[in-house]
Amino acid sequence: MLLAELGSGFLLAALALVAFSALAALRAGRRGDRRWGQVGLRAFVAGFVCVAGASATLLAALLGRDFAVAFVTDHTDRSLSLPLTAAAFYGGQEGSLLYWLLLLGACGSVALASARHRVRLAAYANLVLAAVAAFFLIVLVAVASPFALLPVTPPDGVGLNPVLRDGGMLVHPPFLLAGYSAFAVPFAFAMAALVGGEEGNDWIALTRRYALVAWGLQSVGLTLGMWWAYHVLGWGGYWGWDPVENAALMPWLATTAYLHSVQVQERRGGLGSWSLVLVISAFLLSILGTFIVRSGILPSVHSFAVSPLGPWFFGFLLVAVTASGAVLAWRGTPEARSGGDGRPAAPAVPERERSGPSREGAFVLQNVLIAALTAAILWGTLLPLLSGMVGRELVVGPSYYQRVGAPFFLGLLGLLAVGPLLPWRGLSRGWSRRLLVHPLQPPGFLGSPLWAVLAAGLTLVGLVVGGVHQLPVLVTFPLVAAGLATCLQEYGRGASRWLRGPGRARSSTSQRRRYGAYLAHLGVLIVAAGLIGSHVWQQERQVILQPGQSVTVGGHTLTYEGTLSGSRDGHPVTTARLRMGAETLEPSRVSYPSLGQTVSRIAIRSTPFDDVYVVLTDTRGRAAALNVFDNPLVSWIWAGAGLLVLGVLIGNLTRPEVVPELAPAGSRAPVGAR
Amino acid sequence: MSAPAAVARRATRRWRRSLGWWLVAAVVLACVGYLLISVTGATAEYYETVPELRAHPTTGEVRVLGTVQDGVVRSADGRQVRFQMAGGGQTVPVVYRGTLPDIFKPGVQVVVDGHVAGDGVFHATQLEAKCPAHFSASSPGPRGTPGA
Repeated sequence: MLLAELGSGFLLAALALVAFSALAALRAGRRGDRRWGQVGLRAFVAGFVCVAGASATLLAALLGRDFAVAFVTDHTDRSLSLPLTAAAFYGGQEGSLLYWLLLLGACGSVALASARHRVRLAAYANLVLAAVAAFFLIVLVAVASPFALLPVTPPDGVGLNPVLRDGGMLVHPPFLLAGYSAFAVPFAFAMAALVGGEEGNDWIALTRRYALVAWGLQSVGLTLGMWWAYHVLGWGGYWGWDPVENAALMPWLATTAYLHSVQVQERRGGLGSWSLVLVISAFLLSILGTFIVRSGILPSVHSFAVSPLGPWFFGFLLVAVTASGAVLAWRGTPEARSGGDGRPAAPAVPERERSGPSREGAFVLQNVLIAALTAAILWGTLLPLLSGMVGRELVVGPSYYQRVGAPFFLGLLGLLAVGPLLPWRGLSRGWSRRLLVHPLQPPGFLGSPLWAVLAAGLTLVGLVVGGVHQLPVLVTFPLVAAGLATCLQEYGRGASRWLRGPGRARSSTSQRRRYGAYLAHLGVLIVAAGLIGSHVWQQERQVILQPGQSVTVGGHTLTYEGTLSGSRDGHPVTTARLRMGAETLEPSRVSYPSLGQTVSRIAIRSTPFDDVYVVLTDTRGRAAALNVFDNPLVSWIWAGAGLLVLGVLIGNLTRPEVVPELAPAGSRAPVGAR
Repeated sequence: MSAPAAVARRATRRWRRSLGWWLVAAVVLACVGYLLISVTGATAEYYETVPELRAHPTTGEVRVLGTVQDGVVRSADGRQVRFQMAGGGQTVPVVYRGTLPDIFKPGVQVVVDGHVAGDGVFHATQLEAKCPAHFSASSPGPRGTPGA
């Protein structure tokens, strides 16, 4: 009772502080007033502290099993373990909004504090973040309070759905929600740069950095979501193209495009407005995703209870789209295509000498492919809604996404192999003739395409000789090999430069960033191989076995030995024992009689080559109904994603704040005017 | 060369260059649009409620949302189920062969993919169960796999 009032008080105080912060920031931004900027920042941080207080209160109510609070009753019961009881904080609707706000406050406070030397930029970013936080606080206070009380205190709660009683619940939602909320920070900086008419280039570095943080968090969240689905749901896959999954993927894709277009912006001064569009789109897509999830407007197997939040998020989305569209139109109209420093580009080699494909060209193409892919996913996701408006409701399934995505996927793989080899500003004149005349002589002007070509050719030959006939594999694996060769070659070049002496190496921060990015490329390539391999080569057998009988899938023979009965956390468990060589696999079923539900626990034996994945679907007498999958290369997906995240961490987050080198001191780079 | 003429020439050049970009963008958009529409046409299916299924009898593939009624009949090997699916006051018989999601039981909302055969029975090739009300946003939904 007391806790609920304390929590509501914290939320109200946070709302007041955030609203004040927005006003102070507006004043600071308009006047360029440092003191008001400080006031705004402090109010924002104080608001964040109040949100943290509200979060701690909710956590205390959950852990103290205060069933007078409706949220506690709805999402926990006395049998739930302590970690999962704490996880209910972000497992339920209201709590997840509070958690989102908590992370927004944390990321926002750090970002604003680190940018406070840029008074106007920080002030306008503060304004945007405070406005977003105020929206969430209004929703939390007025519509979906996590501290609402029940008229009568029940003796026990409703409990958490058994499918969710799994370790994945502890790690996947926090990262995904963190990613979602972190997209607000680069959005705030992009809007602030537009509104404030920022000059100089360091706002780009700031925005890029926060976009990278959000992207890294979302990468972890998406991977853990796939991992969880794979380990818990028992259909042998990890991605189903459900609207909720797509909603999480789209902002990630938009930010991927941004992280590349911003390179062009930093190095060549192009694509400035486009980069801003991408940052803003990522945020809007994350809000759209929230709207989709919370409103129940799209047919999805994931769903919250249909809640009154839908119209609120729709309204917020409309306001955000209108506001960012207006600001872009007002400030971001592309001007003459001049250099990023405001001067017309003055390349060292005259333009007409360099006519071939260029690094920036590769980035533009990559952006086009990703934007088109995102549009295709958005179209597929919203199709039921759009078609429902004009007639009968239409839906698309995985086959749509696979067919529509394939050309973009292949194009992106090709770019991973070619793009890093291309020089900025393009190859010098006559490159194609030289390539044709001396194809085997590693030409200095093009890095060396030889290695990539060699890797692709050898892989193709190896696959054909090995008897592989599936077209998707024959097309993608050589491209992946070429991409790997390109990345490794970049590392080789770096190593040789380093061996020749540190004096010749570039600054360590730019090196870190560069090799972090290539590590992420390596990760993406390995993930791509895992996706294709597991998709094309998956085998499944559905069998009913008597003790002593065997099933063979993907060259593995499993012999069923019988079932055992036991219990887990007080719930009855039936476990099937299967012998595979020297190993034993034990899939089981846990029943929750009070909920009238049974949950499968999958047994997985994982190696770098393949996973043997066994689901116990039913038991009848001594017989067991089993689904046995052989899933090749699935572990490559987890390994590749790990490399990607490692690349983000070592390559980029450790680096100190750097003003990109290419902008001469004192140069002007008005936002959008490029 | 007079200054205004130079300015005009520069403006024309800029306009020509931007026209080129717009043309490229238009071609890209047209290609992507064509791809989306054609693949959508080839893969999309109607998403209907039970009364809509009754109102638009079709033999094509459709996806239908409904609630599982009491009286689910399982075959001897447990692989096939027959049940009545209801929605909007009407019902349709469904037969499905394959793995059932863990939460499948009477009272649960399911989404089935398949077609209505000549006997009026809906033959489902895929069955997904909608999660109960307090499922978290980030929880992946249970999914049935198509029958072997």
